[in-house]
This record gives sequence, C-alpha cells and structure tokens, in this order.
Amino acid sequence: MSDVTELETPGGSIGVYTRPKANTGWRDWITTVDHKKIGILYGATAMFFFAIGGLEALLIRLQLATPDGTVLGADTYNRVFTMHGVTMVFLVIMPLAAAFANYLLPLQIGARDVAFPRMNALSFWIFLAGGLFLNMAWIVGDAPDGGWFAYAPNTGMIFSPGKGMDYYAIGLQITGIASLISAMNLIVTVLNMRAPGMTLFKMPVFTWMILVVQFLLLFAVPVITVALFLLLFDRNFGANFFNPEMGADPLLWQHLFWIFGHPEVYILILPSFGIISEVIPTFSRKPLFGYPFMVFSGIAIGFMGWGVWAHHMFVSGIGPISVAAFSVSTMFIAVPTGVKILNWLATMWGGRIRFNTPMLFASGVVSMFTIGGLSGVTHSLAPADTQQTDTYYIVAHFHYVIFGGALLGIFAGFYFWWPKVFGHLLDEKWGKWNFWLMIVGFNMTFGPMHILGLQGMSRRIDSYSPGFGFEFWNMFASIGAFIIAVGVVVFMVNVVISARRARTAPPVGLDPWDARSPEWFSPNPTPAHNFDEDIQINSLDEFWHRKYGEDEDGRVVRVATAEEVCQDGSATDTHLPSPSYWPVVLAAGLPFVGFGLMYTLWFCVPGGALVLMAIYGWIFEPVDDPDGPHGHGGHGDEPTEDPPSEERADDASAETTEEAPVG
Amino acid sequence: MIPKSLRRSPSPGRLVSLAIGGLLVLTGCAAEAPLDTLEPQGPISRSIDSLSDPIFLVAGVVFVIIFGATAIIWWKFRDDHSTDEFPHQLHGHFRAEISWTIGPAVLMAVIAVFTLLSHFDLNSEDRTDIVVSVDGERTSWDPEVLVVGQQWWWEFRYYFDGLDGLDLSDARNLPPADIVAANQLVIPTGSEIGLRITSRDVIHSYWIPALNGKRDAVPGRMAPWKIEAETPGVYFGQCTEFCGLSHSRMRMQTVAMDPADFQLWVDQQMKPAVEPTDTAALRGRAIFEGQCARCHVVNGINDGGGADLVANAAPNLTHMMSRTTFAGGIFDLYEPDGSLNRTQLEAWLRNAPAEKPAYAEGRRGMPAMGLSESQIDDVVAYLQTLGTAPAMDVITATEVD
Repeated sequence: MSDVTELETPGGSIGVYTRPKANTGWRDWITTVDHKKIGILYGATAMFFFAIGGLEALLIRLQLATPDGTVLGADTYNRVFTMHGVTMVFLVIMPLAAAFANYLLPLQIGARDVAFPRMNALSFWIFLAGGLFLNMAWIVGDAPDGGWFAYAPNTGMIFSPGKGMDYYAIGLQITGIASLISAMNLIVTVLNMRAPGMTLFKMPVFTWMILVVQFLLLFAVPVITVALFLLLFDRNFGANFFNPEMGADPLLWQHLFWIFGHPEVYILILPSFGIISEVIPTFSRKPLFGYPFMVFSGIAIGFMGWGVWAHHMFVSGIGPISVAAFSVSTMFIAVPTGVKILNWLATMWGGRIRFNTPMLFASGVVSMFTIGGLSGVTHSLAPADTQQTDTYYIVAHFHYVIFGGALLGIFAGFYFWWPKVFGHLLDEKWGKWNFWLMIVGFNMTFGPMHILGLQGMSRRIDSYSPGFGFEFWNMFASIGAFIIAVGVVVFMVNVVISARRARTAPPVGLDPWDARSPEWFSPNPTPAHNFDEDIQINSLDEFWHRKYGEDEDGRVVRVATAEEVCQDGSATDTHLPSPSYWPVVLAAGLPFVGFGLMYTLWFCVPGGALVLMAIYGWIFEPVDDPDGPHGHGGHGDEPTEDPPSEERADDASAETTEEAPVG
Repeated sequence: MIPKSLRRSPSPGRLVSLAIGGLLVLTGCAAEAPLDTLEPQGPISRSIDSLSDPIFLVAGVVFVIIFGATAIIWWKFRDDHSTDEFPHQLHGHFRAEISWTIGPAVLMAVIAVFTLLSHFDLNSEDRTDIVVSVDGERTSWDPEVLVVGQQWWWEFRYYFDGLDGLDLSDARNLPPADIVAANQLVIPTGSEIGLRITSRDVIHSYWIPALNGKRDAVPGRMAPWKIEAETPGVYFGQCTEFCGLSHSRMRMQTVAMDPADFQLWVDQQMKPAVEPTDTAALRGRAIFEGQCARCHVVNGINDGGGADLVANAAPNLTHMMSRTTFAGGIFDLYEPDGSLNRTQLEAWLRNAPAEKPAYAEGRRGMPAMGLSESQIDDVVAYLQTLGTAPAMDVITATEVD
C-alpha cells in the first residue's frame, strides 16, 4: 500500500475516528456510503411507509364506504387523512423517487458514486429520522389533525392545541433537511461526474428529470422550511405570524405553502416521467421520440411550476386580477405536459412493443396521467374551479396525477430495474396480476370521485348524510381501494417469491430487456464499484448503439452481444469511498432536538450533543480507512494536508471516479 | 314558495365527466344530488356551467383521441413475434413537435379568452337596490348580506342601511344588525344578492353549488361574493374548506322566496321575541336566561350585551322556529308532516357533543347542558315560542336528514 497508509490524520489513532470496515451485515447497512445501498435503503423505507399510508387510506375508505360512517370518529378521521397525505407525499413518493435517483443516477452517468457519499448517507438517515418522528405522533396518540396543507389559523395553538401539528412542523422540517442535502449532492454529481463524452444532451432522460427535480427541491424546500419555522414559532413561542387576532393574514401561510407545494407536485411527478421515458423506448424498441423536446418540456414544467401556485387559492379571496393571471398560467403548463404525452405515444408508434410488466405500468402512466391532466385543465378555468375546488373532483384529479402518474411510474421502475439492483427479474405472471389489480382498483377508487365531486361531495369530510346521492359511488370507491391493496400485496408476494426462486435459478443475463441506457454497461446486480472502467459516451442510448448498427440498406442489425458490450465487474483494484458512522449518528440527534422543542428543552441536550459529536467525528474522520480493502491506482496526488476537509475528501473520490483510470 | 324538484336528469357535462372517469358503462341513473354542481339554478351558476360544460366536452374529446390513439398504437405495433426485424429508429420529427406544442397552446389560448370573460363577469357586481319595508318605512336596500362563518355554523347579518360605513373589522364584535339569521340565508328571487364573507375563527368556505361557486371565509378579511336564485326554493350547501373537527357537519341552506314572501319574512324577523304565556315556556325562558343566554342571543332578552361570555358565538335564536334546520344545518327542525322534530331537538339539548362532535370545553360548539328531562321539556316549550314556522313547502324541501 502506498503513502496513504502512513498518513497520520488527527484522531486517526483514536478508535472512534477510524472508519468502519464492515461491508456485510447490519453494520454495513448503517454505515454504508454506497449510493446503491442507500438507494435500496430509501426504497425499502419508503415501501414501509407506503404500507402505513396505505392502511390509512383503507381506513378512510372504510369510514366513507357508507353514509354516517362510524369506523373512525371525526377526530380520528381528521388525523388519519392528514397523515395519509403527509405520508404519501413526503415519506413515500419523494423517497421512492430518491431511491431511483440514488441508485440509478450515478450509473446512468457512468460514475462510481455520487459527489458526496457521506452526505448521501446523511440525507437518507435524516429522512428516516423525520419519517419516524412524524409517525411517533401516532404512538403518543396525538397525530396531526390540520390536513397536510395545514391551513392557518386552524393549525394554531388555539384551534389545534395538541402536539400533533408540532410533530407535523418539526417532522417535515427534518425531512426537508434530507431533501436539501440530497438535492445539492445530486446536482453536483450530475454537473461534475458524467462519463467522458456525455454532454448534457447525451444524458438519459431519467437523469435529466432527476436533475430538474433537484433544482426544484433546492428552491422549494427553503420556502416550506420558512413556513414551518413560522408555524413552529406561532405554536410554541408566542409568535403571531398567522394569528388574525393580532392582525396577521392567514393567507400568508397559503402563499408560502403553495409556493413550495406546487413545485412539489412536479417534484413528485417528474421522476416518474423520467422512468417511463426509459421504459417506453426500451419496450418499443425505438429511441425516445423528440429527446430534446422531452428534456426541454421537463425544464419548462420545472420553470412554469413556479408560476401557478395560486391556483390552489382561487376561492380564497386573493382578488380577481391574481386569479386571472394564475388561471392563465395554469392553462399553459398543460402544453409541455401534453408534449410529453404525445412524444411517448410517438415513441410507441412504429415500434414493436413488448408488453412486459414495466411497459404495462409505463402505459398505465401515459393513460392515467392523461386523465389527471385533462381534469387539471378543467379546473385551471378559475370560474369552473369555484365549483370544483375542495370537492372530491380535486381528490380524483390529484390521485390520477400522483397515483396514476407518479406511483405507477415508480412501479414501472421497480419491474424494469429490479434485475439491475437484485440480479433477478420479478415474476412476470405475478407482475401482470399486480398491474391489473392496481389499475382496475385505482380506476374504481378514483374514477367515481370525479362524479362525487361534481355532485358536490366536499373534501375532508369524515361523513356524509344519505340523500345527497353519494352512497353508491362511495361504496364503489371503497371496494376499489381494497382491490388496490390486494394489488400491492401481490407486489410484495412477487418480491418474496422472485427472490426465493432466484436462489436456485440461473442468474439473470446482462441485458434482460435489450436496454438502451448506460447503466446496463455494468453487470447485474451492480458490483460495488459500478464500472470496471470509464465508459466513453458517443451518443444518447450509448449502450444500445454498441449493440446495434445498420446494414447497407439502413436496416437495424445486431452487431454485438451484451456479453461483448457489458463490463464483467471483475475489477478488484478500485477506489471506493469508505463507510462512516457519523451520518446515522448525526441524524439520530435530530428527533431528540425535535422532542426538546415540543416537550422540554432538556431533550435538546442529548440531541444537540449527538449532532455536535457527529459533526466533529465527521470532520476528524480520516479521508479513507487506511486498512480498507481497496487499492489506490492513480492516487499519487492524494492531498496530504491535514486535517482533510470534507470537501477535499469528496473531491478526491470524485476525481477518482471521474478521471482517474481505474483497475 | 314552491320548492324546486330535486330530481334532475343527466346533462351532457355530467356525461362527459363520467367519461373522464372511464365509467361510461355504469351511468344508468343520476342520483338525487342536492349539491350537484352541474345543475345551476341561477344566472351566476349558469354562467359558470356554460363555461365548464364545453370544457368538459373538449376534455372528453381529447380524452377519446388520446385513448383511441393509444389503443390503436398498442394493437398495431404490439410485438406479435411475426418478425425479428428491428423497427426503424426514428428519433423525432421537428414539425410534429412544433405542431403539437403550438396546437395545444392555441387551444388553451382560446379557452383562456372565454375563461377570462367569464371570470371577470363572475367577479363583477351588478346589484340594483331592492325596496324593502322596514318597520313600516319603505327603504331602498342595496342587497348585500354579511356572511360570518365560525366553527361549525354560519351567521347571516342583514343591514338594511347598507354595509358601507359600518366598522366590520372585528368579526367578533360586529355592529348590531337589523336581522341576524343562522344557517339559512333567506333571499328574494330575481335579484343579485351581494355577500361579504368573513370568519370569526378559522377559514371556512361558503358554497351553494346551485347558485354560485364557493368563496372562502377568511378571518380578518372580507371577501366579496354574490348569489342569485331565479325560482323560489331551498338550495343546499356545505362548508368546503377544512375547518376542524366538525367540518363535515357545517352545512347551510339558502332559501329563495319571491319578493313578497321575502317582505313577509323580513317583517317577522324584525319583531322581537314574543312574551311566552304558558307556564312551561316561562320556566323554559328562565332556564334559557340562566344558561343558554351565555352564548345565544334572543332579541329582547339579552341583545343588550347579555351574551357576555362568547358574544355572537352561537346562533341568534329570536326566530329559531322560522328555520327548518338547526345545529349548523344538519338536523331537521320539523318532521315531514310539519310537526316539531322533538326527538332530535331534545337529544341536542340533552347532550349536544354526542350529536355533533365539538370542542365544547374550548367553547367551540354547544356543550352538554346537564339539563333534566323536565327542564329540556320546558326549554323546548320556550323555543317553540321563538318565531313562526315556515310554510310547509319549505319544510318538505329542506329535509336534510
């Protein structure tokens, strides 16, 4: 081993500052900085919260199945629908997108890891801490009851005197930190660590959409951060930011919330758009139609998403001029979205479409999101929206967007990249049951809500009386919800039986779907070091172009097998970032600080101590584990100044992954 | 006062919306839906409907085109294993892209024009004064009603001298009104009625779908809105902004009367409560003064500031019997035959929080009063002296339960 082993870093002699070594077992999972393992952690955690959010949804549908429902009382119902929304938005869809982003983004750009691997681990652990903190509210029996939108002053101390809205404010604050860290990390990764030859316009669309989403997060999360701080101060420290009795205007909260909240919608949907923009070309055996238009429409959505927030407030009395402006801007955001849908259809046109499960789910997105988009247009018309808003018509609309758009796309991603991640396919037969149960259940649940809404069924009501015409479709929707649940259970079963079968079955090939994008250059499952050597990117869909060429008649012919094109993952002498204890320690401190703000400031002492300790440990941690099982090819210029700062450490690994010849 | 029939046939707009749900097959019957947004009963709601119906149609057409195209593409280009040939690798088509960028943009621009016309029309005021006889004097009334939401009921305050010039900045301490009604807004037909909507606590939303869209009641703000009914009848509404525990039980009705009936209603409402004569009612009044009057006002008993604890925090009961619902518009005050719905009223007096969830201990919602059964009988006897029952057709048209 070279000079690094001799390198004395401050604290290097103290045991706690050495870097952990395990790369198997639970120790590995809590100390890992590997983007792939972090991606899996994100996914598994989000699916756990998905089960919780799904149970909450089923409780809602049980309560509303019949008129004058008595399954939940009014109080419990309000808490359940609040937590359902909070969970599904912040603890399910966002982290599922983060799971795909973490796992795939470095692979798609041909990098060895993200730019700041420890920060990456930190963002996962903080997200987990925030999610658990939010759900602690159930355990202490005081879940938030003000809706995920938390409109002031109903969420103030006078009207929501329990601790529920504090759990909401602090819990979301914590998960917001995770989103911000992750956003900065992924932006730096995309901008700096792409494979040689991969210009921005040779970047896969999924990576593009994730990049747009990270910018949205970077600018949107600070707004909700401010809003949540104001709410927290109102509730706990006697501030009056939202208290109308002291002259505050409660609409301030709505503006802050929706300036965050509307970009948030695109934060939820664009990753799914990215996923299906990979799936549809692969299964249509054609390149994505109009790639630059797909990229620019994604960017356009990202920009325009900032100019439509007040369409959530058409009836709040913001004045006719504002409403007119936001009504028009909202209509025009339909244009780039429509461009995407038409381009997906054009991608399929002329193809030879294989309807494997990923393609089924991706097709589901195209059709279901179309419905959500069209109903969205109907309430961009401000006068029409005065009838529609806050009815079940809106509930139907955004479930078509978030379930039909975002979640189905994520399931397409599961089936598509499962072999990449776990080295075996998910079972197709179970997968098709999964799809059809979900799509039928989904349409049964949310389709009738269009009718219910137009018949005047108000949102967020815990019960309705007979005689308003709501009975039939509510029962119908509730049956649909349970069919969705069966579909989700089928997915879980599929995961288990596919994993069992994989133990005895031969491993999945290198290229199970005849795919197109660069992540498939590495073998399945992805080895720890991702790539044996840098990939030279010459075109979009580089992986496909190495497999196929044209004969003299211009017909597409196979020129190479996947075995010839893929790397075999045999490189052993690669530099990888070392694991670290500190991200999980730092994250563990935050909930204690939160409890301290809510109950007694003394809780802040252990919480703050953990955070401080973790920051110190982090700073004094050696750049690399001196005894780590990796070589240092091309590391002669390793910085030797001490103490090595965080940035230096990560820059070093970044350089390694991007430029240094490895192996 | 002839109530509108509540049974309606399906309109094209509804049918298209069903198509959006992909559920055309299942549209056999239109249920009885008093909150239906697609059955406008007044010029304002009709103008909204005449904007949204064509949009539902456009959306429906786009839906059919996209879904039809998708189905054709899936069928035509499915892999039927008939060939091994790889499809032509078409990367895009610039003209196609431009056309399906500009095409929808032009469509949206056209929609935007109609939307803006409709929107500014919806937000304009076009009121004409109504001549109302107030205390025997003919008054020219700019018909505008102050609408105040609170957890979980609505108050309607009529000022026949107009709202301008009044200090309405503190919704908890409003100037005395000529008429204070609760849960049922009474309006004359054929006139645009202005509303100024505010709240005493959290945000609510006032919505009578048959007459107009909704407008939030925001504390500290005064939102202008309007409604208009063409034919006499009872029009239902529901609070649509989540307002806490009993949000679902915050309902309201608008009772539209022809102008002559409206004048009769005004005459009745302007009268103070009549002096009860029978002994049970007198005992009931004593109980009312001792307990109920801490929150409820009855003109002539405690309107001089007697409701000191939470002034205006509970409905004014001077003409309670002239309404057809109580407790935030959720219970019928009358049986279908026109007799008092004594069972429900007694249950309410016995233990209100059991009938409608409320934070009574936080003085939000009516608490359990701890009255004995005989006291309840007395209070009911007293309440029956407050106001006169509306006509039978209004009673039968209301029937919320």
